[in-house]
Amino acid sequence: MAKPIINVEEVSFSYDSKSSAKVIGDISFAANEEEFVSVIGPSGCGKSTLLRIMSGLIKADEGKVLYKGREITEPISEIGFVFQDFALLPWLTNLENVKLGLSRSRLDDSEKEKRAAKLLQQFGLKEFDDAYPNTLSGGMRQRVGIARAVASNPRVILMDEPFSALDELTAETLRKDVERMLRSKKIAVDSVIMVTHNVEEAVELSDKIVVLSDQPSHVKKMREVRMKYPRDRHTKAFQDMVDVIERDLGRSK
Amino acid sequence: MSLLQLIGILVLDTSASWLRMFVALALSVVISILIGILAARSEKAERVILPIVDIFQTLPILAFFPFVIFVVVGVLPGWMGVDAAVIFLIVTSMLWNMIFGVYEAVKTLPTEYGEVASLYKIGLLKRLSKLYIPAAIPRLVEQSELSWAIGLFYLVTSEIFSTGNSNYSVTYGIGVALTQLATSGNYTSYIIGFAVFVVFIVATRYLFFRSIELHVEKRGIIIKQRHRLHAGIMHRFRLFRELERIAMPRQRRHERKPMQSAKTAAQELHPLKSHKWYKYTIAGVVVVILLYLLGAFSPTYLNYEGLAFISLIYSFARIWLVFAVILLVSVPLCVYLIFIAKRNAAQFMSLFQILASIPATIVLPIIALAVVGFPHSGEIVAVLVFFLSGIWYVVFSVMADARSIPEEIFEVKGLFSVKGMNAWKNIYVKSVLPGIITGGITAIAAEWNASIVAEYFTTTGVGNGAVLSTVGTGIGKLLDTSLASGNLTLMAIALINLTIMIILINTFVWKKLYRRVSEVYK
Repeated sequence: MAKPIINVEEVSFSYDSKSSAKVIGDISFAANEEEFVSVIGPSGCGKSTLLRIMSGLIKADEGKVLYKGREITEPISEIGFVFQDFALLPWLTNLENVKLGLSRSRLDDSEKEKRAAKLLQQFGLKEFDDAYPNTLSGGMRQRVGIARAVASNPRVILMDEPFSALDELTAETLRKDVERMLRSKKIAVDSVIMVTHNVEEAVELSDKIVVLSDQPSHVKKMREVRMKYPRDRHTKAFQDMVDVIERDLGRSK
Repeated sequence: MSLLQLIGILVLDTSASWLRMFVALALSVVISILIGILAARSEKAERVILPIVDIFQTLPILAFFPFVIFVVVGVLPGWMGVDAAVIFLIVTSMLWNMIFGVYEAVKTLPTEYGEVASLYKIGLLKRLSKLYIPAAIPRLVEQSELSWAIGLFYLVTSEIFSTGNSNYSVTYGIGVALTQLATSGNYTSYIIGFAVFVVFIVATRYLFFRSIELHVEKRGIIIKQRHRLHAGIMHRFRLFRELERIAMPRQRRHERKPMQSAKTAAQELHPLKSHKWYKYTIAGVVVVILLYLLGAFSPTYLNYEGLAFISLIYSFARIWLVFAVILLVSVPLCVYLIFIAKRNAAQFMSLFQILASIPATIVLPIIALAVVGFPHSGEIVAVLVFFLSGIWYVVFSVMADARSIPEEIFEVKGLFSVKGMNAWKNIYVKSVLPGIITGGITAIAAEWNASIVAEYFTTTGVGNGAVLSTVGTGIGKLLDTSLASGNLTLMAIALINLTIMIILINTFVWKKLYRRVSEVYK
């Protein structure tokens, strides 16, 4: 059996600690080695919060998250994070933004700079080291965001709706690029966990899909997706899988 | 004199000051409604009004006070002339952001309203009373409170200024009363007077402005509380943009190519690298020729020019050094309060708001007396008053910036463990850079304004005739002394120098910084 990298164990959470109205009911699942896991659910079910709990940014009310058996209590360098709205610092150049991802690293400044420049090049942004994020298109900005997330060589990347702030065409290109880079080990990680509300996107990228229910959310279904990469959205197998997930979610077609 | 009598007199004095303020406010409301609506409704008027408003907003209008009072009292002698000059001055301090408030409120009205009005052929007067004025009122109320605070500074400063010359002295007024009390060594009374003044400020805020706001809100018009102090300051930015659009329409079209590559965008962010040095050389040559002609025409005028220029350099150095100190104090303070201490920030904010609403020049008499006999006492007074005049603008705009930073930035900070120097350099200080610039523009203007009393403080008009505190050289001092000696030419030359310098700094420092910052920060 594949080794688990991230274990989510009976996690629950409510925004207001006094009220008993839970956002996240009781969630458990694992992301194993070499696995791309998507967490999908209706809006407002606390997906993003769950991801932040996994990253160590937020504390769960109950339950815990383990990274290779170690409990996560604060953000660690082994876990990278990609934001929905990129969360780049507008006052830093793209290079400085990526360098910020190396804040924990012991490398000296010039080495950090070299590494950041190399990453930007890998993400097709060679010319844009000294440009500021707001001069870039959304797709380019998210590339900087991903470069920053992988700068410290994390073993796991958490992605919070990474393509949903982009227009469909840009999103498709970036999705393909990310998928290719993961497969070719240009982004060398043990596991990726992505939160999304887009079923096609989940089916296109994931080995496993965790379907969440409405608030208080719990795991409704766990689906393995066994199709060769790159996946073609127009095949019947793909569409069947999409239908299965849609039914799991309770969305009728 | 009994305590009750003293308080009674002080209340009367403050009421006299407040009467000037309310007259000025009423005038400002009427003028700003007319001008603001005109600018919003007519493109031609807009093109003229906006740049004028922009220049006046950044000019230290108090520096013109000696000139204004000279002219007005010449026409209208006695207390009426002095009061008219003071009120005129307060209006010029209150007006600009109010015009902008009205302009923006009317400009951003959905076009459907105007269409409905023209569909039903609603007349101009009805359109004003039913549509434009009601639409402008919430912003006008919001801006009035800001204007009041600015006007108070002008009021107190001009009253204190007026004590310097018996021809131009305001008879009743809290600024005058406090100067008299301080110079007569009556410190207990001074403190009581100060307390009366603060009570008036707080009462006006809560009884007058708050009740108007409540009234406006009750009628279903919400005033945005959030941006209150910041809003007026932020206009300057929009203004610059507007000015740019008008001043260089051709260039703008060039720059705004739709498919601009990031590389050229990055290069544009370094505007100092522009290759326009030949223009500056030509400008320099022209200035030298003009000065030569001036010297040939009248050596006296050239001397005046030299004097004005040297004075300007001294004041400039003083004001910008104080500004540097303000930054060194206020930026770390605000960053600490908002980003690090977090929880207590709200309490500090209300304390700051009360402190900031007290015009810095009101403490000038007491500072001047406290440092009498110290070496360089005149410099100490000027520097302290400059500091107090400017710091709150920076504090508030930096705080407003710091508070509006999205939560995600802190998540990034946590995720990548950005700490210590790294956090100060890459997150804290840079995140408030726009606030430093907006605050800086206003803080520097406030310092220039304060210079006409802070660089040269005398109470000839009300007391013993001594010059209480003076710097060696300075433009504020030059303006004051040229008024005292009735040298209108020297005063005019000094004002021209000052105005040109302010415009140059706006163009070459603030506007460049602004453009750079506005492209980087969305």
